[in-house]
Amino acid sequence: MIIRLKDINKTYPGVVPLHVLKDINLDIDRGELVAIMGASGSGKSTLLNILGILDNYDSGEYYLDYVLIKNLSENKAAELRNRMIGFVFQSFNLISYKNAIENVALPLFYQGVSRRQRNRLAMEQLERMGLADRAHHLPGELSGGQKQRVAIARALITNPSIILADEPTGALDSTTSRDVMQLFRQLNDDGMTIVIVTHDPNVGAATNRIIRISDGRIETPQPITV
Amino acid sequence: MKNPIFDIENWREIGATLARNKTRTFLTAFGIFWGTAMLAMLWGGAHGMEGMLRRNFAGFTTNFGAIFPNTTSVSYHGFNKGMTWQMTQSDIDAIRRITPYIEYSTTLIDREGTIVYGSNSTSATIAGYEPDFAKINLAVVYSGRVFNKADEARTAKVAVIGKDLAATLFGNDDPLGKYVSANGVFVRIIGVIGQLSNASIGTRYDSSLIMPSSTFRNIFNYGNKVGFFMYTAAPGHSPKEIETYIRRVICANHPISPDDDKAMWFMDISEDFKMLDTLFLGVSLLALFVGTGSLMAGIIGIGNIMWIIVKERTQEIGIRRAIGAKPRDIITQILCEGVALTSIAGLAGVSFATIVLAIADKLTADPVLGSANFTLTFTQALAIVITFLILGTAAGTLPAIKAMHIKPIEAMRDK
Repeated sequence: MIIRLKDINKTYPGVVPLHVLKDINLDIDRGELVAIMGASGSGKSTLLNILGILDNYDSGEYYLDYVLIKNLSENKAAELRNRMIGFVFQSFNLISYKNAIENVALPLFYQGVSRRQRNRLAMEQLERMGLADRAHHLPGELSGGQKQRVAIARALITNPSIILADEPTGALDSTTSRDVMQLFRQLNDDGMTIVIVTHDPNVGAATNRIIRISDGRIETPQPITV
Repeated sequence: MKNPIFDIENWREIGATLARNKTRTFLTAFGIFWGTAMLAMLWGGAHGMEGMLRRNFAGFTTNFGAIFPNTTSVSYHGFNKGMTWQMTQSDIDAIRRITPYIEYSTTLIDREGTIVYGSNSTSATIAGYEPDFAKINLAVVYSGRVFNKADEARTAKVAVIGKDLAATLFGNDDPLGKYVSANGVFVRIIGVIGQLSNASIGTRYDSSLIMPSSTFRNIFNYGNKVGFFMYTAAPGHSPKEIETYIRRVICANHPISPDDDKAMWFMDISEDFKMLDTLFLGVSLLALFVGTGSLMAGIIGIGNIMWIIVKERTQEIGIRRAIGAKPRDIITQILCEGVALTSIAGLAGVSFATIVLAIADKLTADPVLGSANFTLTFTQALAIVITFLILGTAAGTLPAIKAMHIKPIEAMRDK
């Protein structure tokens, strides 16, 4: 069980407090390819932020790779994010003034890995993504699909426990989207656990399990009919 | 984790960040450069201005005083007011006997006369001084020597000649050992002298013939007459203290009322110098005030740029944190960027100011009086750079710390 959520509750305080996650229980096994789907406002982004240790929750328990993630200091959270989670974002979130290989190598900088070692590992990841010839291009010189593959390479470089992807195809055209989903399937075949948050049914259909969330609750799981 | 200061990886990352954002780096660096340069130039400039003013009085003793006879304003002892009186050598002897604080003193007496050497003749001031005159209003001795106490005692027919007068009479010849006629009496030239200071009391050395006072009185039949009397107060005393003694002697020797404050005119240069000191203090304070202003402006400028940079980098900071940068990593990075930029640009600014000051110093240098001291001390330069380093970096770090309070996920969404 790589991810175990037990009775997770999250309320955003305010004049009218917003109870966004209500008693969420969720288990994800190692090696799964899961889609979390729901309409906007359903709480799926909040759930992803909690899974990614980017946000905390009010009650319940969250175990990531058997480590209890609760009330962590910002330093501890940063360290766990760095070692256990690979993020892929809708808007790629590459650093614009760094070239592809530097962007991919950046997580290792924060682990204190030497430059030579960093660049070697980053180059390996870029080769795996078929982007070896683009290693010294700035993000601005890459297409959307290439940028997303650089972001995926960056997510993979620390050899994380899971990949969390937030609408990874949201900014891509349908052909490129299919390629990126193909890539995720391939990574999953190699044993990587991947959780994708999306509202695109085609993306959901390309995964092995769909978790539907609406109004802060997980709907009863349904078998996928192909 | 390794100490970021000694971690080459950290500095490589910072170097790359600064090098990749050329415009931003240049603008910030220029702001710091300009701020430090302005402050340094202002500070050194004020120093130089003071030097330029002060050197006009170089060689001029500041605790200097003099007494001149004047007409009486109170009738006394059967004499009407408006009477003139003559100062004599016996007055001077009495003053020297009873006044404790005199360091150097000289009587002065002078007249216009015709000086002849060979076929050259010119009219000039002929003055009689005592040997200490050159210690009160310092003289530059170009060649030979100034007459001494022995010359004074034996009424030697010797004189020192001002450099301009020497040039008129002798051209390129060496005046030393030659005889000139002063109103028909021959005296031997033993030295060529000139003014050190632009300010002078009594005779201008450059265009005068100066001989021992005994010789002067002897040659021109002045008896024991004295024109006026100059003195310097001993260290720790002011010329003002000496006035009381002089007044007592003069009132005892001459029919002058003790209440008559017009009969003697005292010159006390120390009062004027005190005013000058106040003026210099004012100039320094003004420079400090303007300097603080430009410092503030510089810091606000840097802070502003840093603020924009951090704002602009909110997304970058968010990304870095999402992929595992600890708050300390981010703060350290921004801090190190600030330190690197400020030290390089600050040192460049101070260096630039030093060059400008050196040029100003060269241009205003005087052949006799020397440099006006358009300079910055090492401590001042260091103080400027360190102030900018601390304030500039703090100005940059505050927004960075503030950026830490934004959740990475929100920072990344920030466009």
